[in-house]
Amino acid sequence: MSLAIVDEALVLSTIDYGEADRIVTLFTRGRGRLSAFAAGARKSKRRFAGALEAGTHLRAQLVERRGEVFRLDGADIVQSFHRLRDDLPRIARLMYCLELIRELTRDQEPHTQLFDGLRDYLQKLDAKEAGPTSLLLFELDALAQAGFMPSFAPCALCGEPTGERPRFDPSHGGVLCLPCSTRVAGGFPVSAQVVEALSRLQAGERTPLPAETRARARELLNVFIAHHLGRKLNSVDFMEQVGTD
Amino acid sequence: MTPDAINRLVAQLARLPGVGEKTAQRLAFHLLRTPDLARGLSNALVEVVDRVKLCPVCFSLHDGPEASRCGFCTDGRREDRLLCVVEGISDEMAIERTREFRGRYHVLHGVLSPLEGIGPEQLRIKELLTRLQAAAVEEIIVATNPDVEGEATALYLTRLLKPMGLKVSRLAQGIPMGGDLEYADQATLARALSSRREL
Repeated sequence: MSLAIVDEALVLSTIDYGEADRIVTLFTRGRGRLSAFAAGARKSKRRFAGALEAGTHLRAQLVERRGEVFRLDGADIVQSFHRLRDDLPRIARLMYCLELIRELTRDQEPHTQLFDGLRDYLQKLDAKEAGPTSLLLFELDALAQAGFMPSFAPCALCGEPTGERPRFDPSHGGVLCLPCSTRVAGGFPVSAQVVEALSRLQAGERTPLPAETRARARELLNVFIAHHLGRKLNSVDFMEQVGTD
Repeated sequence: MTPDAINRLVAQLARLPGVGEKTAQRLAFHLLRTPDLARGLSNALVEVVDRVKLCPVCFSLHDGPEASRCGFCTDGRREDRLLCVVEGISDEMAIERTREFRGRYHVLHGVLSPLEGIGPEQLRIKELLTRLQAAAVEEIIVATNPDVEGEATALYLTRLLKPMGLKVSRLAQGIPMGGDLEYADQATLARALSSRREL
């Protein structure tokens, strides 16, 4: 028994399959992340014309097949975000947030707000309206939506202010005050200024951060994400190689 | 009970890209029925593994003596000032089929793929830069695919090559010959419009 559905989707990644086909990982609005078999996707110029590029926003025609991956019967492009492909730092940010969403989500667990957040971020990135601080904002929002919200203030253990010498401990959910961090082993010292900046971003403040604060905040989030996913994201290295954050 | 030799052959064939267990079995039984084909295939496989190697200059394939250069690099009729950078051998063959390009090649053996963790050090980029220091190249044509990874690779190369005072060009992108505007996607049409030419 198969069930046909039409849903909005963002292309997270694709892998070639056989001579002419592709397996596409989609982040759909109604059903979350799913994999779909796109027959003939590599050869047919008409069927999926340019639609299966990473990050493309689609209206996907899918068929659910019991016990198998979905079948992608057709895809209409809603927005291709092609302008961001003219700029290496923006490509790096695109790939980073696609990998982040692919790894943070599970198959067929809907995250409507996360889908809207990713789509809105890609629109801003495409329109050159999203700088490096916007990526941090997007990440904090994505982590919160996926249930991995890091705590920057107050102390993740006792709830008191984190003070002048805070430590970051991903295994305890975020920043700890000095007394708590001496009680539980692990973690590393972190600048109070960076903690405050991340805390303000988490509270919804939109002020761009200075480069040095951003770099430290990026290191902190990389450690936090790697701890929860069990590995460092591949695209983090690419961001470093092209010199962007 | 199936003989072990056949099981081993099926297992090896099934490791090929795009070949599943059933296809591997069908191929194995076909080879068993056609001993001439099987022996020819076996010889060809051994020859490919033993003789074909990468050119030390452009990283294309050739079957000449060890450390010698390929036909593209030794052909005196080709233009030294033009260098076409491609992702793989099949792309080099596709460009060669056009009979329009008479310059030299450089094969990267892949593209930057952030999601797969493929960075510049996994490609033949360092070798390209070393090669350019000694070569009389004036223009580099970046012929990577027009997808996100191909664009990322082209932009990355441009960053490295422009400061060397080289002209860097990209293959034109737009509507394919005999194509239908109706079926062209947003990105292709937008590229075609921005790269339009005066008649």
